[in-house]
Amino acid sequence: MKIHVNEQTIELAENTNIEQLLTHLDKPFIGSAVAVNQDIISRSHWANTIINEGDKISLFQAIAGG
Amino acid sequence: MLFDEMNKNDQLVIGDKSFSSRLFTGTGKFNDQQTMVAALKASQSELVTMALKRVDMQHRDDDILAPLIKNGMKLLPNTSGARNAKEAVFAAELAREALQTNWVKLEIHPDPKYLLPDPIETLKAAEMLANKGFIVLPYVHADPVLCKHLEAAGCAAVMPLGAPIGSNKGIKTADFLEIIIEQANIPVIVDAGLGSPSHAALAMEMGADAVLVNTAIAVSGNPVAMSEAFAKAVQAGRQAYLAGLGGQSTQAVASSPLTAFLEASL
Repeated sequence: MKIHVNEQTIELAENTNIEQLLTHLDKPFIGSAVAVNQDIISRSHWANTIINEGDKISLFQAIAGG
Repeated sequence: MLFDEMNKNDQLVIGDKSFSSRLFTGTGKFNDQQTMVAALKASQSELVTMALKRVDMQHRDDDILAPLIKNGMKLLPNTSGARNAKEAVFAAELAREALQTNWVKLEIHPDPKYLLPDPIETLKAAEMLANKGFIVLPYVHADPVLCKHLEAAGCAAVMPLGAPIGSNKGIKTADFLEIIIEQANIPVIVDAGLGSPSHAALAMEMGADAVLVNTAIAVSGNPVAMSEAFAKAVQAGRQAYLAGLGGQSTQAVASSPLTAFLEASL
């Protein structure tokens, strides 16, 4: 199925959850935040949040700043 | 009382956390991660700011979190990039997930030229975030009235500016910072514009509870040495404030006896 991550379209297996998506994208868990269709998903729900066809995922990361 | 003894009991409490060091630091603008970590360690800072960004899908960024957490630093995410209250609340909620903290440095500065904080949106966002249980530290202009409103809104501290972010110009807002400090029942952290250790010392002498420094350390010739210099200046300024500065006067006040003993001996 096709989903969108930060405006980029990617192909993903059915029944993938958010933890698996981050692993698939080689992104760290610590320091990351995820929103699905503008709803922020708390980390404790990553493993049981299944991504659906056409979902718009926004991925954020902590970086250096003042 | 010796300062060491005085210093031991001189903890800064913000929200549910107490700090021994009154120098807070930012993590931005360092040339490399190694220098950043070494400088932050040298600063003895216990609270360091971070930003949040949308992940670049093409690159993997350095993991800067691990060394900060390992060194026991508390992370303070900011909402930089937010242009209004709604975006700032969204950024704070993302940061809470990313860094697993309900602390947030609230900053809303829509104009990239001067990066001056928007007072109206900041107050709106502060009220919303405090109601959601965040420990809110808003970055604001040195506006005493606004700072009282933010205190009433439930902010844990206020962070008025000395000068525009990254300008290194020092404390251009001194008269208003003094009013803010006099009126505040929450900690006052002077943020932005402090360009040299003497600026930081001055803020502390004025009675600021802490200062936040980033650019002045990160872009200096030797960030590690500069961190140490800032740490000393903050300590010296705090010690001077606690000791109580002597008053100023327009006329000279002699430090030596003015008895005319030389004349008498002629």
